[in-house]
Amino acid sequence: MPTFKIDGKDVPFEKGDTILRAALRAGIDIPYYCWHPGLSIAANCRMCLVEILPPPGRPPMLLDVLELDREKSAYVNVKKPKLQPACQVPAGENMEVLSDTSEHVLRARHSVQEFLLLNHPVDCPICDQAGECKLQDYWLEHMKTKKRMRDEPVHKPKAVSFGPTIVYDAERCIICTRCVRFCKEVVKDPVLTVRERGNVNEIAVSPGRELDHAYTFMTEHVCPVGALTTKDFRFKARVWFLRSAKSICQGCATGCNAYLDYDPRYQRAYRYRPRDNEKVNQHWMCDEGMLSYKLAHDDRITLARIGGKQAKLAKAVSKAAELLKDGPTDQTAILLSAQHSNEDNFALVSLAKALGIKAMFLTGKADGEGDDILRHVDKNPNTAGVKLVAAKAVGSFDDLVKGIEAGTVKHVVALGSAVPVEDADSTLKQLTTLVVVGSSSSSLSRNADVFLPACTWAEAHGVYVNAKGMGQQSLRAIAPADDAQPGWKLVADLAEALGQKFAWSKLKELRAVMPAVKEPEPEKPEDEPAENADASAES
Amino acid sequence: MEPLDQEVEESELELPSDPMQLMMGPSHPAMHGTVRIAVELSGEVVVKADVQIGYLHRGFEKSCERGNWTQVFPYVDRCNYSSPMLNNVGYALAVEKLCGLTVPDRCQYYRVILGELARMADHLVCNAAMAMELGAFTPFLWWTRAREMIYDLFEEETGARVTHSFGRIGGMAHPPTDNFKQHTLAILDKVVASSDEGISLLETNRIFMDRTMGVSAISQADAIALGWTGPCLRSTGVPYDIRKAHPYLVYDRFEFDVPVGHEGDNYDRLMVRAEEVHQSARIIRQALEQMPDEGPINVDDPRIVLPPKGEVYDTIEATIRHFKIIMEGLKVPAGEAYGYTEAANGELGFYVVSDGSGTPYRVRIRPPSFALVGGLSKLITGQMIADIIPTFGSMNMIGGECDH
Repeated sequence: MPTFKIDGKDVPFEKGDTILRAALRAGIDIPYYCWHPGLSIAANCRMCLVEILPPPGRPPMLLDVLELDREKSAYVNVKKPKLQPACQVPAGENMEVLSDTSEHVLRARHSVQEFLLLNHPVDCPICDQAGECKLQDYWLEHMKTKKRMRDEPVHKPKAVSFGPTIVYDAERCIICTRCVRFCKEVVKDPVLTVRERGNVNEIAVSPGRELDHAYTFMTEHVCPVGALTTKDFRFKARVWFLRSAKSICQGCATGCNAYLDYDPRYQRAYRYRPRDNEKVNQHWMCDEGMLSYKLAHDDRITLARIGGKQAKLAKAVSKAAELLKDGPTDQTAILLSAQHSNEDNFALVSLAKALGIKAMFLTGKADGEGDDILRHVDKNPNTAGVKLVAAKAVGSFDDLVKGIEAGTVKHVVALGSAVPVEDADSTLKQLTTLVVVGSSSSSLSRNADVFLPACTWAEAHGVYVNAKGMGQQSLRAIAPADDAQPGWKLVADLAEALGQKFAWSKLKELRAVMPAVKEPEPEKPEDEPAENADASAES
Repeated sequence: MEPLDQEVEESELELPSDPMQLMMGPSHPAMHGTVRIAVELSGEVVVKADVQIGYLHRGFEKSCERGNWTQVFPYVDRCNYSSPMLNNVGYALAVEKLCGLTVPDRCQYYRVILGELARMADHLVCNAAMAMELGAFTPFLWWTRAREMIYDLFEEETGARVTHSFGRIGGMAHPPTDNFKQHTLAILDKVVASSDEGISLLETNRIFMDRTMGVSAISQADAIALGWTGPCLRSTGVPYDIRKAHPYLVYDRFEFDVPVGHEGDNYDRLMVRAEEVHQSARIIRQALEQMPDEGPINVDDPRIVLPPKGEVYDTIEATIRHFKIIMEGLKVPAGEAYGYTEAANGELGFYVVSDGSGTPYRVRIRPPSFALVGGLSKLITGQMIADIIPTFGSMNMIGGECDH
């Protein structure tokens, strides 16, 4: 691999790499605001300026500048090298770049930071970005002094609603144009632009439009400062109290990699953030997916129910076993869920095998809108996974409805909380026995004779297989609420009550016998948070 | 009927001679610092003593690992609560050693003066408690009155009488008040005079001398072997004082003596402390003279020291600086350091380990009391039970630092 030098250190690069990209890959920190790996290069923030030494035998690029000589208290003519943006200049063989070792570069960073903070309001205490703001980080790293300007800063509009999801604060904005470029290049909906020039410029929405495409949350995500905030997360939590778990979005079959940010003190999820994965979602997520973290808390049922009345979990399990014992196996069916992980579905398939139940059906959410960016029409995260663990043809929900209407299915053990039809109540009422292992309220839980409270994806480790057939692991974030337990554990308990003992009782053992998935993610990512590591060890 | 006044042999009246087990403490009034001594008595003589510490254990070292580096100060305040300022400065010096920081001259003098005042207060309290427990209540009241003057000064300077939490990494919480020097000079003579006055009541007092001279003596070799430092070590004649042996802050700029005893008994321990009050006063006088009136107290580094509060409300730069230090904590470079200072009871060490983050990875204290209490059972074995009280008092065991 060809190399070039940054501050005398050899840095390897690939053809087409810019200096910044190669430096980041080599673990060398060059500060930047406007550059984003998934967007075009704007080079407008000037934070990544570096000094590039001339090739041997060529004169250096020098600028004539006037500088104040404090001793003489007069301006003198000096020459200084022309600095160049590391994000834009391609790396070249044997190029010599000075970054932290160049006095000019350090001064430039200091000055750029001073310019960016010139009109910045004193907003940190009320700004959602505080704690993950580049302006804060870089001030301490590269500026460390007060600004010299004594004038009143320029005031601009604050808390401007850009649309149903995003609020804009022009005073905090550094006009890096990341949001503008994101809308134009990724979503192909150029709804944002920069208005005016100099220190009065601001981001504006096209006249007659709102920022309302399907990826508005990403404009907030790419914003390096607190200019764009989401209405959903605004003033809800302070980021330094949040911890992140590596999660898989539950919104659709794309299976976007995400961080689920939660507050360990309240065991509450607060937001999703995309986790970079070139093979799946690159750097992005859609609005629908970003909001799907709410499923961790909305409409939850966390206590067992018998006939709609709250009951002790153990009692509910034995009641379910009692009800199922009577049913002839040819009239019993299992209902798998594309909303649940491979583990949960595999446990239920194992139960069916043990009991000799043949009929298997699949439930999940109904198809929705899709596009060719990320959104998949299948709004279930694990349809492919269910088909994999079932290892045979699985009937659709419509098939189940037909079976119930025809009277061939009288008893059902169901997983999940979603049904693809609007009203399934009238059909489900005809069942003699309905045992549901689910996490939230739906027509399944409403009609269940026995309801067993399962963990959501946020409360348990699980493998999900996306539409491309990639198995991806989602790690536990928060502790199970109340009596909730991983779905596979509840199914195993139920099996035991029915006199069937599975060969596995722990997650590790279950995964060993579960059908393997193509391209599985490593069991334990290196930088997995410690608390999650503990949790996987005990389960 | 037998006559009642029948002559009996003396020996027949002897009581059964099994040793008596007695638990002193942990809530015995003389077991200050909450400690239990399980003693075995033969008559009034201690034949065996088992000193059991830990009643004031509150997980101080572990607690340090959950806040940021600055948030440790309130914890160290409560280690030796008789002289919190010395703990504050000791901890600050250990972290500054790891950061490679040196605080400005003015701060160094300020730390010395406040530290020496704390030492005087500590010695006064220790001597007062010991004297009182032997029945000498007057010196106790006089010395407490003298300590009160020091506490008033601390209140003026730091806002708190006992637990000041006044140290900061890279400086102090506030600069000296305008009349700090005058105030210190004004009380210094009175405190020293009060100490001397109290000593004059004890020094040649027959009862006091009989109760303390030759009681619970320890040899130089034993004291060193036990890891003793401070006044208790010096009472045996070893002139070891960290301020002289390994000068820190600006102690090398002062003239002062290291008082030593001869016997290493209770009397010597009291007298060494009494003399150290004089030496502290000497140091303070020189420091007040040399201390600059103007100049910064804190190091000039935005990564370490908080900005002035007024600026935080008005300027974005100061807000960011404040935010970074408060929310993330000041970053201490990865590594480890042992900072040690001469506290009132001896060598107070802090072993700090940093992983480069804003939170201490490990803070380990080397409290002087711990080593001292290790020698207690040796000292009191063979003594009368009543001698446990002054021996324990002269040792100045502080549960807060001992139980760690």
